[in-house]
Amino acid sequence: MPAPLLQLSRATVRFGGLTAVDTLDLALGEHELVGLIGPNGAGKTTAFNLITGLYAPASGSVAFAGRDLAGLAPHRIVAAGIARTFQNIRLFGSLSVLDHVRVAGNLHRTAAPWQALVRGRAFRESEAAVTRRAEELLALFHLDRFRDAPARSLPYGEQRRLEIVRALATRPRLLLLDEPAAGLNPQEKIELVALIQRVHREFDLTILLVEHSMRVVMGVCQRIAVLDHGKKIAEGPPEAIRRDPAVIEAYLGPEHATAVFHH
Amino acid sequence: MRHPFSYLLLALVLGGVLSALSDRIDPYHLDVLIGVGINVVLAVSLNLIAGHTGQFSLGHAGFMAVGAYAAAAVTIFLGPHLIGDAPSPGGLAENALFGAALLGGGLAAAAAGLLVGIPSLRLRGDYLALVTLGFGEIIRVLLQNFEPLGGALGLNGIPAYTTVFWVVATAAATVFTVGCLVRSTYGLGFLAVRDDEIAASAAGLDPARYKVVAFTAGAFFAGIAGGLFGHFKMTITPSGFDFSRSIEIVVMVILGGLGNTFGVILAAVLLTLLPELLRPVAEYRLVLYSLLLIGLMLARPQGLFNFRPRSPASRA
Repeated sequence: MPAPLLQLSRATVRFGGLTAVDTLDLALGEHELVGLIGPNGAGKTTAFNLITGLYAPASGSVAFAGRDLAGLAPHRIVAAGIARTFQNIRLFGSLSVLDHVRVAGNLHRTAAPWQALVRGRAFRESEAAVTRRAEELLALFHLDRFRDAPARSLPYGEQRRLEIVRALATRPRLLLLDEPAAGLNPQEKIELVALIQRVHREFDLTILLVEHSMRVVMGVCQRIAVLDHGKKIAEGPPEAIRRDPAVIEAYLGPEHATAVFHH
Repeated sequence: MRHPFSYLLLALVLGGVLSALSDRIDPYHLDVLIGVGINVVLAVSLNLIAGHTGQFSLGHAGFMAVGAYAAAAVTIFLGPHLIGDAPSPGGLAENALFGAALLGGGLAAAAAGLLVGIPSLRLRGDYLALVTLGFGEIIRVLLQNFEPLGGALGLNGIPAYTTVFWVVATAAATVFTVGCLVRSTYGLGFLAVRDDEIAASAAGLDPARYKVVAFTAGAFFAGIAGGLFGHFKMTITPSGFDFSRSIEIVVMVILGGLGNTFGVILAAVLLTLLPELLRPVAEYRLVLYSLLLIGLMLARPQGLFNFRPRSPASRA
């Protein structure tokens, strides 16, 4: 078996007396699409913030492509190939839709900052390449009609999509999606499932998905890990997770034995 | 957009024409014009720090002071060794010395900007404003007690090298630099860092670096403005770069609209001309300033000259 792309080994995050992520082991192989689920407060977003460098592990380690991520600043982790979206959409209030994607193209900009003042050929070509790539991405996700609109003016579902496009503009190998279906209506959720599958396929990515909506998780994930109180309580293919008594108990308490994930 | 160089060229031609005609312009008007130009440099450079990058700074007069004293030190103490005691007035040697002095002033201020930029990595909002305020005061008190540079009495006998051409050229270069920078892919990062640091780092940007670059570059131009100011007034005192001078520049940036270069230029022009027009009621100037600021915050929080539509939650 090849070495995993992302490997969390007994990773632990503590906030004072609270252990938000508890000795978590998680491995993602290249090109996998894995779901991370669990009840509210289970530590899913904390795990994301740990992987993306917003939090440092109290113990244990996070490795990406064989490299320990300890001590790397968040932007360096993005440069290493891990991009993410946020549970509460975080767009730039003053930037247009196109500029959201352009600014994320900075990692692949070929001209140095000072060349903006000389405006030579190298600068113009670098700028044109960044803009062209941004426009291509927008077109691919049907956001090109909003090109010059302020991002905040977009409908909610489009804002979520723009966040995914911004993440893709950094050209990641691993994409972390934090509750991309939150706040979407049933029709939009169906579109989102198709979108995630398309991104996974066409961008040759590994995806880790945190999600509340069972319809979405069960629909797209090849494998699911379940967190409860910071601990991993189950891991396996969707059908097995659906029937797992520990998972059902974590979600609904011991008295609900019915299969709840069927609707 | 038309090629940015054409605007730069236009400004330089304008500066040249004004300079050629300067004998025929009323000296009072010329003085006002130079004052306007220096304030444009100060306001546009503070706008890079406070407007585009969102690092509220109350120490811009401190950077100006560093530049003014450093540039004056170059022309007063090094000048006679470099170009002799009696160079031809307005000649090449004199202008070359002045250019070097301005550059020295800018670099000294940039070093100070780098120093102040580092705490900005850990502080934001009110706390950062307090640190920058403290920085400005420290500079002023240090200069007051540093006798080789005149101490509290100030530094006298600075040669009057500042011409309308130097001022217009510097203003044009500042506007050009800041404008080109924030429109480039790289420079969009300043705006992204201001809007949301966490999202900016998720887009692969280093917020710390952007903030330090903004402080350093902004301080550089403030330092040059200080050099122009010193060689215009011919005498500088530490108290001329006090807190109220910083506030004046902040008011220009807020009046023009944070991050709106064109508006900030207009505001700098207006707020330089206004005190001249209001000379009869000069003692009430600060009262007027305060009322202006309060009224503005109530009526047009996006800035008087900011005509872009306000996005619904742009400061969320």
